[in-house]
Amino acid sequence: MDNKKYTGNSVFIVSLLITLIFIVWGVFFTDNLAKVTNTIYKGSIDYLGWVYLGATLFFVVFSIYLLFSKYGDIRLGKKTDKPDFNTASWLAMLFGAGMGIGIVYWSVAEPVTHYTTPPYGKAYTIDAANTAMKYTFFHWGLDPWAIYTVIGLALAFFQYNRRLPAAISSAFHPILGDRIYGPIGKTIDILSIFATVFGIATSLGLGAMQVTAGMHDIFGVPNVLFVQLIVIAVATVLFIISINTGLEKGIQYLSNAAMILSFAIMLLLLIVGPTMTIIKVLFNTTGIYISDFIHMSLRLEPFGEGKWIASWTLFYWAWWIAWAPFVGMFIARVSKGRTVREFVIGVLVVPTLGTFLWMSIFGGSALDLVQKQGTHDLANLITKNVSLSIFTFFDYLPLSSVLSILGFAVVAIYYITVADTATFVLGMLSEGGTLNPSNKIKMTWGVIQSAVAAVLLLAGGLNVLQTASIAAALPFALIMIVMCFSLMKGFKSEVEVQRSNKRSTKHF
Amino acid sequence: MKLFQVRKGQFVYYNNELHRVYGVKPMYKQSVHLIRLRDLKQELTNAVSVERYKPKELDSFIFNHKVYTLRNDRKAETGDYILIHNPMPDSLDTYSLNEIEEVETADHKGIITSNSHGIKHNEYLLMVPGRADDSHPIDYQDIESVEPENLQDIESNQLVTNHISELLPTLGDIYKKKDSSESFEAMVVAIKGQTVYLGSGLVLSQEELMNTEIWEFLYNILDK
Repeated sequence: MDNKKYTGNSVFIVSLLITLIFIVWGVFFTDNLAKVTNTIYKGSIDYLGWVYLGATLFFVVFSIYLLFSKYGDIRLGKKTDKPDFNTASWLAMLFGAGMGIGIVYWSVAEPVTHYTTPPYGKAYTIDAANTAMKYTFFHWGLDPWAIYTVIGLALAFFQYNRRLPAAISSAFHPILGDRIYGPIGKTIDILSIFATVFGIATSLGLGAMQVTAGMHDIFGVPNVLFVQLIVIAVATVLFIISINTGLEKGIQYLSNAAMILSFAIMLLLLIVGPTMTIIKVLFNTTGIYISDFIHMSLRLEPFGEGKWIASWTLFYWAWWIAWAPFVGMFIARVSKGRTVREFVIGVLVVPTLGTFLWMSIFGGSALDLVQKQGTHDLANLITKNVSLSIFTFFDYLPLSSVLSILGFAVVAIYYITVADTATFVLGMLSEGGTLNPSNKIKMTWGVIQSAVAAVLLLAGGLNVLQTASIAAALPFALIMIVMCFSLMKGFKSEVEVQRSNKRSTKHF
Repeated sequence: MKLFQVRKGQFVYYNNELHRVYGVKPMYKQSVHLIRLRDLKQELTNAVSVERYKPKELDSFIFNHKVYTLRNDRKAETGDYILIHNPMPDSLDTYSLNEIEEVETADHKGIITSNSHGIKHNEYLLMVPGRADDSHPIDYQDIESVEPENLQDIESNQLVTNHISELLPTLGDIYKKKDSSESFEAMVVAIKGQTVYLGSGLVLSQEELMNTEIWEFLYNILDK
């Protein structure tokens, strides 16, 4: 008992110290931090880009393999377990958790930015628009969801079928055995916490920028760094209150509300926007996406600078990987009682299609709007202030104030729910995978993650957010590759146990 | 007019008997979906015909043919049943009000149920088997109007053993041995008194086969 307690604390203390060192560095040596992250950023383009590309493509292939493999019938949980949620709300939750703040932030900004500065070809052309949509699909399509599939599946399988703690190290049980409780397991947990803190901080940083932009658009609040820091501070106070007063139930209601609101915005936009164009964009881009998938997945610029790839594709892959323990934990929690095949369809296929629809609606109508202007002014305006982009875009649509207020509400709610859930996940990960993390530890992480987000914003905003996550996610990307093999080993022995999976079970 | 809102998980009286609301479907006329705690029978009804009851310490009731008394005098241990009467789920938790679960592990921070829910010690009441003498039976709202034969159930503690027969081995049950290193499954092919004959030629007593640490019930061959 005491031994186990010690295990939890050492992971917590070490990961806390590493993060604190980073915060102190960022506050007192801001320039130095910006310089170092920049060096890492450059290094990642030159030396590590292929690691991210290769790993992510591997996760896609692996997930698709699982879909068709004999392991598809393995049920996550006991054989008699039934899913906690019906399929529709399960899918809605997966979608909301995986994309959340990001999809609102980028769905207009990304296609338009690609349109003005395309990865190749001439800007502001029809070709550029198609390429822009294609790459937006690519960055938000199968790849992120494959990353979540791998980690969510590993967490769920080892937690429910093997009854191991809810920690990343549990996924290595087939390889490491009981050494997952020793130094190797702890190192894995510390690295996963480190990646998660940065993944969350990146999202919170983007979220704070977006909330501030929304307030600027609706209430005329100045869109400056200082206000962004206030947003982070206020949100921190709010979720710390919620942790202490048992308002968590309220948070769950809020997150459902955000989901319903986002679907409402999507539908509204489909109706008031250029409906036919959106549908054409959806079909056309899905086609190009499928046929160019391999090319995009392995695209590097050996004879060029590769700046575009680093600031988009590599950033996304790193961000998804850093963000993965958090989303994976959530997905595992809501997916008990599903089979592996259902899981892969629900986490890889359906959300990808959902994202395509979302991106076609937002990106398609934004590109349509930008092209119809005849000049480059609007496109440049959107690109110049990315956080404001979605509100700028709404201003050109009918019912713009309704859309802006709805959009602002969604972003604000996503921000608070993500921050709140993140404290729980970090609490679990840092206390040896317990399902009952203590409030003190949750609050500590709450303050820390906000501080990291604030430091990253202080150190230089979006660019630093991007580079920091590319650096922090690298060790975890390697961990995830090993995790795939560990998962296969676990599945192999499970097939023997669950040989009877086609048989019916007795229901009392 | 009744303004009380029915919510998932609440204990309610319906037709004078204790039920748990397992779902509220606002789109249906019969919007309140209940499960009778006594024998887990499903009922559909509407909000007007149910009356809420909040379970508290020292209430006793029959759940799935067994009598339990709610207690709060000690922390739950492995194997205990609990009633989550005060749920405070974390943001990723999926349990709801008044769920009845089995404890798998317990420590000073809380317990983890066999359903992988993490629950803190202030969220549950312990369900102690049997009906304590100082307990307050809550199976019926109005105990006067209950037919005498049903009332017998309430008074007898025998229920624990009487109804367990449902869980006893029957012909065609497939069991899996948990503690052996190689996979071992066998079917019940004959039952003679208290003795059970398994397909592999293994002969053992009912109690041995009911030991869930060694034998896991998989399914019955006749079930579809």
